[in-house]
Amino acid sequence: MEYKIIIRIARQELTVNFRNKWTVLFAAVFGALVVSISYFGIMAEGFSGMQNFTRTSASILNLVLYIVPLVSLVMGTLSFTGDKGSTELLFSQPVSRAEVLLGKLCGLFLSVSLSMLGGFAVAGILISSINGEEGLIQYGFFVLLSLMLALVFLSIAVVVAVVNRRKSKAFGISLFLWFFFVLFYDLLALGGSALFKGQDANLFLFLSLFGNPVDMVRVATLISLENVSIFGAAGAALLRFLGGPTSSILLLTISLLMWIVVPVKISQQLLSRQDI
Amino acid sequence: MISVQHITKRYGTFTAVNDVSFTVDKGEVFALLGPNGSGKTTTMKTIVGLNVPTEGKVLINGIDIRTNPKEAKEFISYLPQRIVFPENLTAREVIRFYGSMRRLSKELADKALATAHFNGFSDKTVSEFSGGMIQRLGLAVVSMPDAPILLLDEPTANLDPQGVKQFREFVLGMKAKGKTIIFSTHLLAEVEQLADRVGIFVGGKLAALESIENLKTTFFQSGSIEDLYLHYVGSCENENR
Repeated sequence: MEYKIIIRIARQELTVNFRNKWTVLFAAVFGALVVSISYFGIMAEGFSGMQNFTRTSASILNLVLYIVPLVSLVMGTLSFTGDKGSTELLFSQPVSRAEVLLGKLCGLFLSVSLSMLGGFAVAGILISSINGEEGLIQYGFFVLLSLMLALVFLSIAVVVAVVNRRKSKAFGISLFLWFFFVLFYDLLALGGSALFKGQDANLFLFLSLFGNPVDMVRVATLISLENVSIFGAAGAALLRFLGGPTSSILLLTISLLMWIVVPVKISQQLLSRQDI
Repeated sequence: MISVQHITKRYGTFTAVNDVSFTVDKGEVFALLGPNGSGKTTTMKTIVGLNVPTEGKVLINGIDIRTNPKEAKEFISYLPQRIVFPENLTAREVIRFYGSMRRLSKELADKALATAHFNGFSDKTVSEFSGGMIQRLGLAVVSMPDAPILLLDEPTANLDPQGVKQFREFVLGMKAKGKTIIFSTHLLAEVEQLADRVGIFVGGKLAALESIENLKTTFFQSGSIEDLYLHYVGSCENENR
């Protein structure tokens, strides 16, 4: 594998995406929402002005969990089901299929990351200038988890696009997956737990956490913000099950990495055996 | 230089290419001729390594395109049937990108652009180009690496008469440089004017493999290349019935 080739393809993908009006629109909307939530987040409680980092992270969490998977799936699917003429020309060059796949994925990830980082950075500068730097490390970790979530769903989008080369079909499946992970999965997990009793039901729920990267990011963020009490007794049991806050975060982060590596490996294997 | 050995390509129960074998020698211009859906593009894409054959193999300079694709593709420059570039990139960015895929310098890429008469348009985006200009940019991308083998899939399908004329000049120029060229077409005049040998595809099979010289001496005396083509297409269709 030639890393220079991967970097060149990534750079090209980044350039194409950054000149795309939809990427620019996403960056602008995401940035505006993050800054607005940071600024107006505690107005409902009778206060005005900028929240601190911990409150901001908790407030932005839901926005990230809804928007980032959707945008990543859409951008990933559109890019990997690109026009046949362009794809054929690229794959006919003396480059391996894995280099093309990784290059495009890296370029897409950079596009999504830079779009998100703009909003996070502006909010971060505003918060630190008004409320100081308390909670900055947790905020940084939350940003990192948000980026990982983007990469997880870009990797899933690659599998979808490799399996379904028709843009409309791949797009439909991506939307279904967004609904599944963001909206349906928790209902399924809760329904599934009703099949078990006592400890078995708890164990089922804990294990089901690792089947949904959206939930993993939610839980890891809340643990890092020391906000796991929001889950009540279940939160305490979760921490006990996972072995305390540090090991919980570590385990969830490693599991998220697996959610990136496994789809990429699967798509690489499928791509090596199929027609372009 | 190119050896296609017993290639079969099936999509489920449909056989797109059925046990096709031929060789193309260095410096030869070889045409894949046949009606739409006869297996020309599938064969072409298998030679480039874009399609995975169900059976058979393709050797480029003795290198198997499936087992050593990167090495084999160093010898090939391919123009797809319908060429598309990202609309928001300039011609210079496009050609430099494809140059970088072959580790070529920016200067060489810029030179290829100038040779394709892109002066004044190099820094305009692809969205501003006509279909003919995009095809010219495609030919510049294909000719830039100085690869010994050119594979051109229905290169004149979307061109106006002027574009067709330019393409013919391009092929003749490349032929003069000693390149090995395979192109697919369903236009008989192109075959007659440009090819040294022709493979006639009908229903996924290679119905005939002849040199243009042989065709001219043995068949053209009693008819045109059009008659010959219809003769093969007709006899294969009768066989299939």
